[in-house]
Amino acid sequence: MKALKLDNLPTPKVEEWKYTNLPRAISADLVDAPVQEITIHKTRGQICGQAEDILFTGEAGALHSLRLKIILEEGAQLTVLERHDGSGAYWKNMVTEIEVGAHARLNHIRLVEDSGEGVNTNMVHITQGADSLYNGFTLNIGGKLTRHEIHAEIQGQNAELHLNGLNLLAGQQHGDTTILIEHQAPHSQSNQFYRSLLDDNARGVFQGKVHVHQIAQKTDAYQLSNAILLSQGAEMDTKPELEIYADDVKCSHGATTGQLDEEPLFYLRSRGLSEKAARQLLIEAFVDDVVEKIGDEELEARVSKMCRQWLGGVLSIHHKGSKDTKFLKENK
Amino acid sequence: MIKIKDLKASVETDDGAVEILKGISLDIPAGEVHAIMGPNGSGKSTLSYVLAGRDEYEVTGGSVTLDGEDLLELAPEERAAAGMFLAFQYPVEIPGVNMSMFLKTSINSIRKQRGEEELNALSMLKLMKTKCRELGISDDMMKRAVNVGFSGGEKKRNEVLQMAMLDPKFCVLDETDSGLDIDALKIVASGVNAMRSPDKSFLIITHYQRLLDYIKPDVVHILADGKIIKTGGPELAQELEDKGYAEFVGEAA
Ligand SMILES: Nc1ncnc2c1ncn2[C@@H]1O[C@H](COP(=O)(O)OP(=O)(O)OP(=O)(O)O)[C@@H](O)[C@H]1O
Ligand SMILES: [Mg+2]
Repeated sequence: MKALKLDNLPTPKVEEWKYTNLPRAISADLVDAPVQEITIHKTRGQICGQAEDILFTGEAGALHSLRLKIILEEGAQLTVLERHDGSGAYWKNMVTEIEVGAHARLNHIRLVEDSGEGVNTNMVHITQGADSLYNGFTLNIGGKLTRHEIHAEIQGQNAELHLNGLNLLAGQQHGDTTILIEHQAPHSQSNQFYRSLLDDNARGVFQGKVHVHQIAQKTDAYQLSNAILLSQGAEMDTKPELEIYADDVKCSHGATTGQLDEEPLFYLRSRGLSEKAARQLLIEAFVDDVVEKIGDEELEARVSKMCRQWLGGVLSIHHKGSKDTKFLKENK
Repeated sequence: MIKIKDLKASVETDDGAVEILKGISLDIPAGEVHAIMGPNGSGKSTLSYVLAGRDEYEVTGGSVTLDGEDLLELAPEERAAAGMFLAFQYPVEIPGVNMSMFLKTSINSIRKQRGEEELNALSMLKLMKTKCRELGISDDMMKRAVNVGFSGGEKKRNEVLQMAMLDPKFCVLDETDSGLDIDALKIVASGVNAMRSPDKSFLIITHYQRLLDYIKPDVVHILADGKIIKTGGPELAQELEDKGYAEFVGEAA
C-alpha cells in the first residue's frame, strides 16, 4: 500500500484523484502524531456477537497516520464499527487492510463525523476468499475533505461484496468515494449503492470501477449512484466504469443527479403535507433506502438518527429562506 | 360551492408560453356532480392540476373560488385543507414512503391546518381498515410504498381510498375509471356515491359513458381545445358516445 507523505501528495493530475485536490486542502504546518495501529484478528470459526467499536479522533494541527487491519480467518464473523471525529484542522492519513477468509462474514460500518476543517483520506484494501461476505456501509457527514478509496479483490468463488454509502454534505465540504472492484474468481457478486445529498457549495465525487477478469464468469456486478442537489452551488461528479473480460456476466450501472422531483412533491402537497414536510419525507425515504442495507436494526436506528439530525438542520434553514423553492423554479 | 370564471392557464415550453385553458367558466353548486368529457389533449388534466395548485401551470386570467374563498391564492396543501381533492389521472409512485404512514401524515396535516386535533393511531387504523374494506383494498397494500408496484387499477382505487379518508368537499376525479376492471369500476363508483351529499360537489373527468351509468351526473360539459363548447344534461354523454366529438367540435367552430 502506498502511504501518503506531505511532500508527495496526489494531485488532480493523477487520474484517480481527478476531482479531488488534496494538496490544496492540507495545510503544510501539520505536526506528525505517533502512528496509530490497530489490528483485529479473528481466528478460524470465531463468531463474535459483540461489535468491535473503534474511534479515531483528529486533533488540531496533527498529521495522523492511522493503520487498521482486520483479519477474519475461515468462517469467522464480526461487525466492526469504525467511528471518526475530531476538532480543528488535521489530516488523518489512513490505510485499512481487510482480509475476509473463506466463509467469513464481516460487517463494516463507518461513521465519519470529522471536524469541518479536518481532512480524512482512507485507502482501503479488501481481499475476499470463497463464499465470504463483506458488507460495508459508510455514513459521511463530516470533514472539509474526505476521500474513501476502496480497492477490493474478490479472489474466491461465490463471494459477496456490498459497498453502500451515504454522503450528506453541506457548506464547502468535499466527499470523494473512489472504488475499484476486481472480480478475480467466478460466481461472485458485488453491489455498490451510494447516495449523496449535497447542500450549499458541497461537492460529491463518485468514481466506481468494476474490473471483471477473464476467469470471473457468472459475475454479477451492480452499481448505482444517486445524488440530490439541494442548492444551486452544489456539485456532483460521477464516473462509473466497467472493464469486462469475461463473456458470461451480468453487470449494470446507473447514476442520477438532480433536484428533488416535482411530481412526488406536488402529489404529497395535494394531500395536505406542507412543502417542508413533503420535502422532508422524500429526502428521508431517499436516505433510508441505503440505511436499510446495514442489516442490523440497532445500528440502522443509530445511523438513521444521525441522518435525521443532519436533515433537520439543513431543511429548517432551507425553509426559512425558501431558497430551494426558488431554486427549483429557476431550474425548470 | 365551486365557481370557476373565465379561467386561463398556460405552460412554459421551449417555444415559449403555450395557452392550454382558454377561458373556462363552470359553477358546481353544493351537492351536484358534474362531468367533463373531451378529446385527448383538450386540457382536462390541466384544469384539474390548476385547481389543485400545480405551479407548473401559470394562471393568466380568471378566478376560482371554493365557498367564496379564492383558491388560486392558496398553496396546494392549503387547498387540500380547504376541502379540495384531486384523484390523479396518473397517481405518483413514492418509493420508500409507506402507505399507512403517508395516510396518517396526510390526514393529520389537514387536521392540523384546520385547527383540529390529530387522529390517534387507533382511530387512524380503524378508519383505514373500514375504508379499505369498502373499496376492496387489502390491508397488505397499506404496508407497501405509495403506489410503487401497484397495478393500474390498484393505483386508481388507492386514489379513491385517499379521497374517502380525507373526506373533502370538492372532489375532482381525473379519469379514475380508466384502467379499472368492471368489478372495480362498480366498487369505485359506489365509493363515490357513498360520499355524495348535499354539501359536497364532484367534478368527474372521463372518456366513457360507462362510469356515468354508475355515478349519475347532474350536468355534463364538453371541453375542447381549452374551452367548454357544450353543456347539457346526462343525455349529452350518451349523445357523445353515439356521435363522437367531431360533430360537437365542428358545431362550436
Ligand atoms: N407541462 C406541459 N408542457 C407542455 N405541454 C403541456 C404540458 N402539460 C400539458 N400540456 C399540453 O396541454 C394539452 C392539454 O393536456 P392535458 O393533459 O390537460 O389533456 P387531457 O385533456 O387531460 O388529455 P387526456 O384525455 O389524454 O388525458 C396537451 O396538448 C398537452 O400536450
Ligand atoms: Mg388527462
